[in-house]
Amino acid sequence: MNRLEKKAWVNLGGVLLCIVIAGPGVAIMVYMNIQAGLPGLISLFVTGLIVGLITYRRNIKSWAQLDEREKKILQKALVWSMSVFILFMYCASFAVFYIVGAKNPIPAYILPVLFLSGLFLMIFVQSAALLIQFAKEHYDG
Amino acid sequence: MGSGQLSNQIRRLRFEKGEMTQQQLADLVGVTRQTIIAMEQGKYAPSLPLAFRIARAFGVPLESVFQYEPIHPSQ
Repeated sequence: MNRLEKKAWVNLGGVLLCIVIAGPGVAIMVYMNIQAGLPGLISLFVTGLIVGLITYRRNIKSWAQLDEREKKILQKALVWSMSVFILFMYCASFAVFYIVGAKNPIPAYILPVLFLSGLFLMIFVQSAALLIQFAKEHYDG
Repeated sequence: MGSGQLSNQIRRLRFEKGEMTQQQLADLVGVTRQTIIAMEQGKYAPSLPLAFRIARAFGVPLESVFQYEPIHPSQ
């Protein structure tokens, strides 16, 4: 297993950990409204910030150590994850529009929840894309 | 511009160069062993700087390491 594969597994683990830590809080927030779910929002924000900072530091450090083939694999995974992020934000925005209605207000917490969910999805897709590319390489021989 | 097939003689040149291992070549040219494996299997086409580094590692011209066969040659 090379460095990128290890990184992908660590990121997948991080995303799952965030879901375990922040997920119940967000669920409470969504179903019982903002007052009861405020700790969930804070825990989501803090875990998102920690994971984001760790991922950013690791990316900066590891980018210089990658060779050109690994950089291409990572770039492809980044393109996939960005595409999924944009698609998710696009669909989520319109989903809110259709669920709530055109002229009704939406709770403010929906915006960070959508954005952070998109970020977690992005990290998940990036890690999965890396692992799929390496698995395909191993499978081809 | 037509597409083409890039082939290489890395595996043969390694053995001609005193049975150089993939790891030794990888260290010489500054890539991972997996990249050398991918190139030998024709799954990865290296950048021009890396191609030159590989040729220099073997002490041969670039054309002795990499060959390009156009599938649809332009007229």
